[in-house]
Amino acid sequence: MTGVLFVLPALAVLALLIVYPVVNTGVLSVTNEQGAFVALANYEAVAEGRLTATAVLNTIYFVGGSIVFQVVLGTLVGILLNQQFRGRAFLRSVTLIPWVVPGIVAATIWAWMLHSEVGIVNHLLTSGGLVNRSVGWLTDPDIVMPALIAINVWKLFPFVAIMVLAGLQTVPNELYESARVDGASFRDEIRHVMLPQIRPVLISVTLLLTIWGLNAITIIYTITRGGPANRTLVMPIYIYRQAFEAFAFHQAAALSAVFFLFSLVLVVLYLRVFAVQEGRP
Amino acid sequence: MKARPLGRVLLLSAGAVVIAVVCLFTFVCMALSSVKSARELYAVPPTWLPHSPTLESYRKVLFDSNVPRYFLNSVVISLGSTGLALGLAIFASYGFARFEFAGKRASQAFVLVAQLLPTSAIIVPLFITLRLLGLVNTYLGLILVYMILTLPLSVWMLTSYFRAIPVELEEAAIIDGASRTAVLFRVTLPLSLPGVVAVIVYAFVTTWNEFIFALVFAQDSRVKTLPIGIAEFTGEFNTDWGAVMAASLVMTLPIVLLFFGMQRLFVGGLTAGAVKG
Repeated sequence: MTGVLFVLPALAVLALLIVYPVVNTGVLSVTNEQGAFVALANYEAVAEGRLTATAVLNTIYFVGGSIVFQVVLGTLVGILLNQQFRGRAFLRSVTLIPWVVPGIVAATIWAWMLHSEVGIVNHLLTSGGLVNRSVGWLTDPDIVMPALIAINVWKLFPFVAIMVLAGLQTVPNELYESARVDGASFRDEIRHVMLPQIRPVLISVTLLLTIWGLNAITIIYTITRGGPANRTLVMPIYIYRQAFEAFAFHQAAALSAVFFLFSLVLVVLYLRVFAVQEGRP
Repeated sequence: MKARPLGRVLLLSAGAVVIAVVCLFTFVCMALSSVKSARELYAVPPTWLPHSPTLESYRKVLFDSNVPRYFLNSVVISLGSTGLALGLAIFASYGFARFEFAGKRASQAFVLVAQLLPTSAIIVPLFITLRLLGLVNTYLGLILVYMILTLPLSVWMLTSYFRAIPVELEEAAIIDGASRTAVLFRVTLPLSLPGVVAVIVYAFVTTWNEFIFALVFAQDSRVKTLPIGIAEFTGEFNTDWGAVMAASLVMTLPIVLLFFGMQRLFVGGLTAGAVKG
């Protein structure tokens, strides 16, 4: 029984901080301001809300777009960092910078660099003759989401790279050697030796990135607040606005509940993958 | 080493250079912008190197703004939340690493789920609860909500570090008559010191960078943290970009120093599966 006593305080605090709010979200979502039970009225109001579909689609766009590039770029960089070359240790450290820099700082630097008039990015593109007019990276409704996805990819590809690198370091050298004896090219090595070995890593990283992506708010909120014209309104910003700008707590709770359940499915999925890999829960 | 084909060497070098530029460029840009004069910042076309470097932006940030106060708030809140979480996690992780008991698997799964759940999904009821308890706009309120982030990750990381310490070392102490708590603090904990340091750094950095909880639970400048301070700078129509860059650098520096000071530990902890975005 000693073990229980050791873990009890931490579990009690966590239960208080997490289980209680989660249960409370459920209660709030089926009541009104007077505390009366209203069944699914809040859910209906949310489902009919003009911006709900927008928020869902934007979230899917942001998370999906981010993940594809994060995983592909991260994997390539991870493979590169696993090669032997001079300055490798330095490059490994440098690669971590975007991931280490606080999200808010990344957001402000990029907002500055992508500034439509005095930003360095537009300057580089126009002086290089790549575009003939300044691009409104963060103001043009059709460009703002790809721009935010690019920033998010920049922020998190190092994480994928490090995980891939760690995965590659467990690949036994014999595998490479026997591939080389068979006359395999570098591309064959990637496809037939590296990728199969890091597949479990990639699966868990993808799930993790999905979970984080759903919850991402810092960069988007800081740069666009969900605008222009709600083009970057993602679910966390929508919940925040409903609750703390429109003060519709009960509808925000209904949104949170749906969002929570959806995330929970992903989390459980991730834990199953994780458990299979680790061989323990 | 055998000679490698030229194509592969070229590809490798090109890739390495691109990565270095992509990762360093923003950081360099921030540092350079922070020492440019206001006029130079808004020059068209923009300049690369500052023509007449000035510390004016730093003077503004350090003496004419709330940033020093926000810095202090961030330190107090991050340290408080990290310390409390560590205290609880030391016991919990030891329990998980060394004992078998009913419900252990379920509790561990709960800790992992807690670590991954989206914070924005529970922010509404948390706000209502904190307001009820009068904890909105207080250090204690923020320290408590940040334990949602720091406690699960501390427990998870420390458990794997404790597991790596051979049980035989503890058994010797127990035969000598030491209690379990004494064993924990005299044997296991000192041996896990690198792990403890990694947990502290990780938890500290996580709270230092946190944005959405701070946005909701710290609306008063007496408790606002640095991320909110920087967001305030940029939120207005007239953004003082020099000051923003200086403040960003002030906020980033402690993290970069901590991180690269202990990179080996940090990356080890990360790949152990203990992460929270």
